[in-house]
Amino acid sequence: MPTIEVNREDLESLLGTSLPDDIEELNDLLAYVKGEVRSIDQKETRIELKDSNRADIWSVEGLARALRGFLGLEKGLKEYVSVGKSGVEVYVDPHLRNVRPYIGCAVVKNVKLTDAAIRQIMRFQDKMDQTYGRNRRRTSIGLYEFDLVKPPLRFTLAEPDKVSFIPLDFNEELTLREILEKHPKGIEYGYIIRQFPKWPIFIDSADKVLSFPPIINSNDLGRITERTRNVLIEVTGTSYQTVMDTVTNVTVSLADRGGTIHSAEIHYPYSGMNDDVTPKLDTEMMVLEVPYIQRFIGLKLDVSEIVSLLEKARYGVAGSSNKRITVQIPCYRVDVLHPIDIVEDIAISYDYNRIPDEWPQLTTIGRLSDETIFRDHLREIMVGLGFQEVLTYIMSNPETLFTKMNLKLSRVVELANPKIASMTCLRNWLLPSLMELLSYNTHVTYPQRVFEIGYCVVHDETYENKTKDIEKLACVNIHSNANFTEVKAQLDALLLNLGIKYYLEETNHGSFIDGRVGKIIAEENDLGIIGEIHPQVLQNWELENPASAFEISVDILRKIKSKH
Amino acid sequence: MMSETDLRENEVKILSALKDANGSLDASEIVSKENLSHAAVMRAALSLESKNLIRIIEWKVRRVFLTEEGRLYAEIGLPERRLAQALVKMGGEAYIDDVLNVASIKNSASAIALGWLNRKGWGQIEKKTHKVKLLKKLEEGADERLLRLLKKKDTLSIEDLGDEMKKAANILRKRRLVEIQEKTRRRLELTSKGWRLVEKGVKVTREVSQITPELIITGKWREVKLRRYNIKASVAPIWPGKKHPYMRFLDDLKQKLVALGFKEMTSPIVEISFFNCDGLYMPQDHPAREVHDMYFIKEPKYGDLSCYKRYLENVRRTHENGWETGSKGWRYSFSSLEAARLMLRSQTTAASARMLINEDLEIPGKYFAIARCFRPDVIDKTHLTEFNQVEGIILGEDLGLKDLLGVLKKFAIEVAGADKVKYRPDYFPFTEPSVELVAYKKGYGWMEFGGSGIFRPEVTLPLGIKVPVLAWGLGVDRLFMMKMGIDDIRYLFTHDLEWIRRAEVV
Repeated sequence: MPTIEVNREDLESLLGTSLPDDIEELNDLLAYVKGEVRSIDQKETRIELKDSNRADIWSVEGLARALRGFLGLEKGLKEYVSVGKSGVEVYVDPHLRNVRPYIGCAVVKNVKLTDAAIRQIMRFQDKMDQTYGRNRRRTSIGLYEFDLVKPPLRFTLAEPDKVSFIPLDFNEELTLREILEKHPKGIEYGYIIRQFPKWPIFIDSADKVLSFPPIINSNDLGRITERTRNVLIEVTGTSYQTVMDTVTNVTVSLADRGGTIHSAEIHYPYSGMNDDVTPKLDTEMMVLEVPYIQRFIGLKLDVSEIVSLLEKARYGVAGSSNKRITVQIPCYRVDVLHPIDIVEDIAISYDYNRIPDEWPQLTTIGRLSDETIFRDHLREIMVGLGFQEVLTYIMSNPETLFTKMNLKLSRVVELANPKIASMTCLRNWLLPSLMELLSYNTHVTYPQRVFEIGYCVVHDETYENKTKDIEKLACVNIHSNANFTEVKAQLDALLLNLGIKYYLEETNHGSFIDGRVGKIIAEENDLGIIGEIHPQVLQNWELENPASAFEISVDILRKIKSKH
Repeated sequence: MMSETDLRENEVKILSALKDANGSLDASEIVSKENLSHAAVMRAALSLESKNLIRIIEWKVRRVFLTEEGRLYAEIGLPERRLAQALVKMGGEAYIDDVLNVASIKNSASAIALGWLNRKGWGQIEKKTHKVKLLKKLEEGADERLLRLLKKKDTLSIEDLGDEMKKAANILRKRRLVEIQEKTRRRLELTSKGWRLVEKGVKVTREVSQITPELIITGKWREVKLRRYNIKASVAPIWPGKKHPYMRFLDDLKQKLVALGFKEMTSPIVEISFFNCDGLYMPQDHPAREVHDMYFIKEPKYGDLSCYKRYLENVRRTHENGWETGSKGWRYSFSSLEAARLMLRSQTTAASARMLINEDLEIPGKYFAIARCFRPDVIDKTHLTEFNQVEGIILGEDLGLKDLLGVLKKFAIEVAGADKVKYRPDYFPFTEPSVELVAYKKGYGWMEFGGSGIFRPEVTLPLGIKVPVLAWGLGVDRLFMMKMGIDDIRYLFTHDLEWIRRAEVV
């Protein structure tokens, strides 16, 4: 979820009123936009906004726009119109189709920009690039001093070594390739375009480079200052819809600073793609059925009340009857996909805490899963045998599962993107988790007896998820007299209490002492293994006491039981 | 209350010995007289002292012992003495090398012999001529007397020595010929109460600590004294087998949910992205679907969605253009391959998605799951990379926001024992509206307790569900930590057996 930093004074001047000083009161107000104060210092207030789709409120202008509705300072639809053409025409290179196909532009004239306002705009641009623009992969924003730009403009491709310009915050000209190697933004975002033979550039009719999207602007044209009056907005990207939504939001935010909006024309050479005029400032309509609203919220709200709640949330109402309301969605509300989104805004406007809550009277019968019921039986017996239940991670690593257990490596379910060295795969058996736990407890009084019922995962092509979860039960006795007799008595007791007959078959297993290890066979099923832990394994885990253990499949046990 | 029959065998032995010795003996004397171990004597003595029958007087003594080298010199004489005696034989004056030779003093000891000869004023070394000359009559020094005494007696108490000998002991210690050890001596003395008792005469009864089957069967238990135990003494700890505190907490939670009419559902650990993400209307380029928010499986990379073709197609169209859901959709080109990507379950909501297409699904119905979830977080005080989530769904005609709030309130009161609740708008990609529950509990204040919402039509309709589905998740980890009074989430999976053993059953 995005966190934004706002300058309180700037926000208050856009709101036209002061904000509550009390943090709880401020949070109650911000709750309307799913926001919560994270921290406050003298000038900056950090606000966490939970909704990762409402890009319109990530700008201080948009936040003010929304809050003015809830504060009762302004209500209903806020419309934005383009007062005319800016004269900007952009010609797109056909080869961009596979690199970064879309562009949208707008010009906002006569904006008044204070130092604080510029900082807020930069932050908004950053937040949009990171979140909505998916770290500039999907979209990235460029802002320019319009008066220095000579249209028509071209969005085209250039060879990395053939074009150079002075990038933002640098003093010398660099080629595109040098920017990727030297400029911090080139290093950070270079991966987005590096694989292509030619890279996108945005240039004017005098062949001056405006920017190298999505990496960096020109230091000459692409810098906004307090003296800037007329701003050219450009957004490029891989998703047409996101590019349009972004242009719209940047444009209306600047317009809220007192500017007028002027449109641009985009000429696409792609087949099936028409020329375009941006920004998109149309108000969309959505029809809401009144009973639908009433049913979803669970309140018999009347139409006039719904209308006023909608206006508080800055929607417009084009028409209404007792049955339906035609809602106007402001152009910047790019998050509204479905009438349900508007219903939620109505409920938020009404205030969740005013809705009488009700425990739904549904006749349902509760039940634990068969797995849980059976697992609980096993746990009860194991606890009765004196074992302490433990809880360990399912993620593990081959050293723990095999090397330390004195076994050869074998295939396990590995992670493509492990985060830490000790968690690179899923465990295929449970005993190593217990041995690891014991190895941390050599200073704790013995005897120690631990057990766990936990999941292991193995490959299995026959399953839709190509793996099979196996629930297992493992236990270990460790103390100066731990031996086979003890653990066999425990296995006897467990299986006797489950009414399952079994016998042991001699076997070899690297983790156990030869001649003191057996395969557990229960009603023709291989249930698991039992034995005295091999001294080499004890040494590998730095354990100084003998240990005996068994590990059995809970799934097979349950299957046997269900046949009885 | 006190009677002689309360005395144990060793205690009686000590009292008798003290009586014979006029009421006072060293502990070491009793050890040798009664042929008991020192520990046994002291144990009995302490018990007698606690009964006020004797008093134990303790003091420290310093004793001097010969070292191995000291023992040698006590035998053959100090090197300077042997040098002086050789000089006497050689007429009172001789070359250094010659006299060392005659006195058979090794090179290694020559400097010591000459040095002490000089220091004691017995002889004079003339460096120019390399000669040594005897100066006076040789009397036995205190150091030599001490060596002689020690040779006879093995050890002496420093306190018993005169001043001169004390000084000599120090010098010899510096020469590493003797060592001085400090020891505690204890003397036992009868108190007046002790005297009265021994004069009356003490006798021993056979005392029994552990009752045996033999004593019971033969009836001999009547003839013996069953020793009184110090029931206040602490005993070695034992640890019962018990359930893990967090598992017990989840057991209780399950019982509560069952009581509220919920059925338990399950889902696999390795999940197909379709159930964890796509089916929950998370767009394929959603930031939460990147490698830093989910674990993916290395090999094989993709699962098999062939038996879900119809749902997959519905979901694809919903993402692309909203399909029949009334939504605009996310408007991008959906990849069925990406939807088949295998990953570790990152949210229990995957279980809910599977339940919605389960043929056993009941409407109305209530379901819950407690499932291990995985996210590539760095493990610290507040984050785990593997953790449990508790989530569930409620399906029914005409369910709405008021019911969702009612469910949350019920949970807050039944599960968390909250006193009051507050609802805040929240956001999840798969629910609209979404609500966060903030619960107030006396002594703990306000805390975020869970998230919930009504599944978006883009989630339910493609999976064939036509009724509203309330979805909820509870922040149980925090609740458990609060209950156990811990502030580090790592305790949930702690290796610390001591902590688990000591964790209270609550």
